[in-house]
Amino acid sequence: MIDTSASLSDRSPDPATGEPLLEARGLTQHFRVGGLFSRKLLHAVDDVDLVIYPREIVALVGESGSGKSTVARLLAGIYKPTAGEIIYRGRSLTSMRHNLRSYRSRVQMVFQDPYSSLNPVFRASHGIFRSLKLHRQELGRRDRVREAEKIVQLVGLTPADEYLRKYPYELSGGQRQRYGFAQALACGPDLILADEPVSMLDVSIRTGVLNLMTDLCRREGVSFLYITHDIASARYVADRLLVMYAGRVVEEGPTEDVLQHPKHPYTQLLLSAVPDPHADTEEAPPVDLTEPPRVIDPGEGCRFRWRCPYRVEICDRVTPPLRTLRPHHRAACHVAQSEMPEDIQIRRQPPLASP
Amino acid sequence: MSAADIAVTDRPGFPPVLLDIRDLSVEYAGESAAVTAVDRVSLQVGRGEFLGIVGESGCGKSTLLFAIARLLQPPAEIVGGDVVFKGQNLIHMREKQLRHLRWRDYSVVMQSAMNALNPVMTIGGQLKDAMKAHGRVSRRDARLRGASVLQLVGIDPVHLDSFPHQLSGGMRQRAMIAMALVFTPDLIIMDEPTSALDVVAQRSLMVQIKQLQSEFGFTVIFVTHDMALVGRYSDRLAIMYAGQIVELDTTRAIFKDPKHPYTQGLLAAYPSVHGPKQELKGIPGRPPDLRFPPSGCRFHPRCPHVMNVCPQEEPDLYAPRGTDLVRCFLYDRRVMNDRHLSQPLRSEP
Repeated sequence: MIDTSASLSDRSPDPATGEPLLEARGLTQHFRVGGLFSRKLLHAVDDVDLVIYPREIVALVGESGSGKSTVARLLAGIYKPTAGEIIYRGRSLTSMRHNLRSYRSRVQMVFQDPYSSLNPVFRASHGIFRSLKLHRQELGRRDRVREAEKIVQLVGLTPADEYLRKYPYELSGGQRQRYGFAQALACGPDLILADEPVSMLDVSIRTGVLNLMTDLCRREGVSFLYITHDIASARYVADRLLVMYAGRVVEEGPTEDVLQHPKHPYTQLLLSAVPDPHADTEEAPPVDLTEPPRVIDPGEGCRFRWRCPYRVEICDRVTPPLRTLRPHHRAACHVAQSEMPEDIQIRRQPPLASP
Repeated sequence: MSAADIAVTDRPGFPPVLLDIRDLSVEYAGESAAVTAVDRVSLQVGRGEFLGIVGESGCGKSTLLFAIARLLQPPAEIVGGDVVFKGQNLIHMREKQLRHLRWRDYSVVMQSAMNALNPVMTIGGQLKDAMKAHGRVSRRDARLRGASVLQLVGIDPVHLDSFPHQLSGGMRQRAMIAMALVFTPDLIIMDEPTSALDVVAQRSLMVQIKQLQSEFGFTVIFVTHDMALVGRYSDRLAIMYAGQIVELDTTRAIFKDPKHPYTQGLLAAYPSVHGPKQELKGIPGRPPDLRFPPSGCRFHPRCPHVMNVCPQEEPDLYAPRGTDLVRCFLYDRRVMNDRHLSQPLRSEP
């Protein structure tokens, strides 16, 4: 059974989606950096709570170095978290240690670079057949071929028998990335962790892969954690949105609500920076020359405070917790309020000295 | 042809021409046949203009830029055309002559600052290197000028003594721009300088380039795959597809009313954060393999408006609005008045 813990009590579970598929509580990952005797810790991910329901696409948005890929690797079981818990269908991952293979077949990953994630000496279908052999042992040889053809068709590579014979060098970037998804689908997953799956693809190809994700979610019932730095594409595919900054989730909520009513100043900055060919406004954008924070031994306090135009005294001392400011919509900011006017433009403030 | 033979014609209503590219073609020597990566590209860039060159990977945009700067390495080779820069034809210049122009009159900002900066040399040392290449400069002057260009791009002069790995990605990219500015050249060519940065850093770098440009008045040629990014800052856009320019016009006109089906498809492929959510279609198919370019119009296998004429003849550049150029038969009166030629080849999806 799922126990709805205190950390989630302020989010009533969506009746349409039911029980969570995957849940992370207080997920934390620190890396030791520096020399042999260094005690410095890089806080890649700090205290991240996240819930993914069946049949939904959740987007995790953040700049490079915000810890979003580390979250994906933690959820995929590649790293062992420093602290925190991952719960899959009500069972903690630590209790599944002996049965990780079944977890791995249920939670699959798609990587950013389709050029280096397929082995060039094997046919592109090699990964699919391997997954089928490992995770679907009930299938015979003929069934495997049939299944592989079905999967390849599912990701839009037709004619299937032809594509199964191809080598990676014969495929374009978009086709390779479709193979990435096919490989993930071969295990019959509930959840695919897609780490920047379209950022290396050309614009005209990108849309096809984004549409593939929504398609697979609607038709096959696969959930997605879509990790990206591109908030516009996140809006396009995702039902819910999480914004990460310096290893922490700073805002989360239904995608449209977050975009229409961004509460955290970082989300507001991110939104104002998105290049949008369809916008007619040519207002002078804020110039933000400050650098992302160092997350080595960051200490207490809001990590966005060095760039924040609304900084107050408490921000230096207390790390803001996520607070519910609108229905299902939470933000980690001391200043943000439910009735805060959203249309405040971030103004250029005299820069503060970095720590 | 000597430079004196080439009369540069200024277009009325536009800034005086600084760079005039005529029928420039670049080939890569292949195993069997040469591959034409840049196919008879003609462009005029005015003084103080910000020109964006947009295209997908493999469309020849970086090759074009390297050809303009005369930085191509074999197997790539310029097989035809002229690049007239400030009245001199760069194509016929020897390395020795080019050396005087580089940095001083035009400079190039490379795509990945990580690889373009020397990892074992301080930023200040690398700036000094560029200065020393153009005459004697005292250590003190080099430092002073280095400090001032770093300040221009918003980097604290203490970083003169920093090594590239000590700077963040955004700072490295800005340091590259600082190096390009050492002599305040007339032309700065930029090859996707922001592609390694995230949106916030990207945006602030673009704003900064624009501010520097209005301060010093140099010309920018900005090559990118991201039309949405450059759209806010460029005066004109050249859209490239399969080695050719398919559309050339002011940025505003292209965004408001894209004429070429490829440009239309590109613009429609960007999801937006504002306004109603719309389903995006993208462009079916993939960019052609330039070893085997499609017959006729190179976009015809992916084009939603393909007509009888498209696979048979190569379209020219037409000017449906007057100032613009579009490589599409839809704007060719001869074709559009001929019922057979303009017959659609397949029904629209």
